[in-house]
Amino acid sequence: MNCEQCQELISVYLDNELESQVSSDIQTHLAVCESCAKVCEDFAMILDFCNLDETDYSLPPNSKALWCRINNLIETEIAAETPQENREEKVKRNWQFSFSQVFASILGIALASSLLTIVGIKNFSAPGDVSVNASPSVFERVLGKIGIIETPQQTRENRIKEQQAAIDYWNKRVEAKRRNWNNYLREAFDRNLNEIDQVVFEYNRILQENPQDDLSGEMLDSALNEKMELLREFAEL
Amino acid sequence: MNWNLKKFFTFRKATIFLLTVVFFFVSSAMGISAQKNFARTYPASKNVRLQLTNRTGTVTVEGWDKEEISISAFMEAPAANIEPRSLSGTIDINLVKDNQGRNEVGNVNFLIKVPFSSSVDIETRMGNLNVSNVRGGLVRAHISSEGDITLTNINADNVAAENVIGDIFFDGTIASSGNYRFTSTRGNINLRIPFNSSFRLIATAPSTRNISLGDFANSGMRFGDGRRVVGQNGDGSATISVTNQRGSISFIRR
Repeated sequence: MNCEQCQELISVYLDNELESQVSSDIQTHLAVCESCAKVCEDFAMILDFCNLDETDYSLPPNSKALWCRINNLIETEIAAETPQENREEKVKRNWQFSFSQVFASILGIALASSLLTIVGIKNFSAPGDVSVNASPSVFERVLGKIGIIETPQQTRENRIKEQQAAIDYWNKRVEAKRRNWNNYLREAFDRNLNEIDQVVFEYNRILQENPQDDLSGEMLDSALNEKMELLREFAEL
Repeated sequence: MNWNLKKFFTFRKATIFLLTVVFFFVSSAMGISAQKNFARTYPASKNVRLQLTNRTGTVTVEGWDKEEISISAFMEAPAANIEPRSLSGTIDINLVKDNQGRNEVGNVNFLIKVPFSSSVDIETRMGNLNVSNVRGGLVRAHISSEGDITLTNINADNVAAENVIGDIFFDGTIASSGNYRFTSTRGNINLRIPFNSSFRLIATAPSTRNISLGDFANSGMRFGDGRRVVGQNGDGSATISVTNQRGSISFIRR
């Protein structure tokens, strides 16, 4: 018997299903052939493992409870899928618009986004912007006139009102404190305040003549801030 | 008669001499009581921050090659209270807070020495501010009212100088991606910077329209109607913003 014949019959040999003569030949070959003996050993180990009691290692400690949990989970998922499908159907039905509805919606979205963009640019453009005299477009002016957005003049006026309110507040604080200052400090304060007031007066005059002059508007804003700062810092003394 | 006259003149001389001596001692004594000094030294790391708020007086800050901050203050009568605080890498001196509620406080003139790489943030209600030889992250000089600002040999990423009446002079380098802001209401703003500085510029002098770019005038600078110049020098990595409401702006090549 050669190795090939032997290895083909090993499985049957281990099951004790071979004739005694053949079985004897295999035993003889296994005794002299190390590789076939090794193969036979491996087969025998596999068979031994498969013959062990399956319940000892394959089942979890509480298999019934586990199956219950798996069942519940499957049932829950099935239950959740059904209303979602119904909802999708409803949504599909709700989104069936007529042509006029679709057109009106697109127009509305376009108008709203344009307005938002304009308002956003107007509100968030910094005073120190590099652009010089960026005057509003015709569209912006029209929107401003019909009261949809604030015109630059209105924005400026509102800003000046806010600044003036803060200036009045700090001015009162300064008035209460300045009687304690020495002449030297009082004179210096008045001199500087007067200087800023002249600048404010100058830009107010320019803006009355030319309300579109953004640079003067920016400088007026800056001068009012300086005035506010001067008053606040001297009010601390 | 002659003898009497002689005696009279001798007596008069002696009286004048005595009065002079008395006057000298009294005035010296008054001088001593009118001027008080304050001196303190703090150990400091290289990138320490000095934060000073003065009421009135001159402040001079100089960088030096030592890891300590030396504060000297010369106080005129009535002498101010000074209580410097050292908090996590910052030396904070606030004479406005330290003297709040006091009616009369005399001028305080500071001479402060800081490590070269310090950040300096100083302000005063009135008086001159001088900073030199500093190369930290920030140099800020703010005068609430009037006084000159002189920043010499500055190499900082962020520089700000503001006053109402007074000149501003900056002599230093422009760091790439740095931020430089100079603002005055009336005075002259002079900036001395290296020719190869790279910056974006917004210079505004609306009243005088006196903006002189010197060697920095190039085709990338737009003058518009003369009130504002906007432009770029080099790749424009830093930002320089100069506003002078009623004064001039000049750029000088360093």
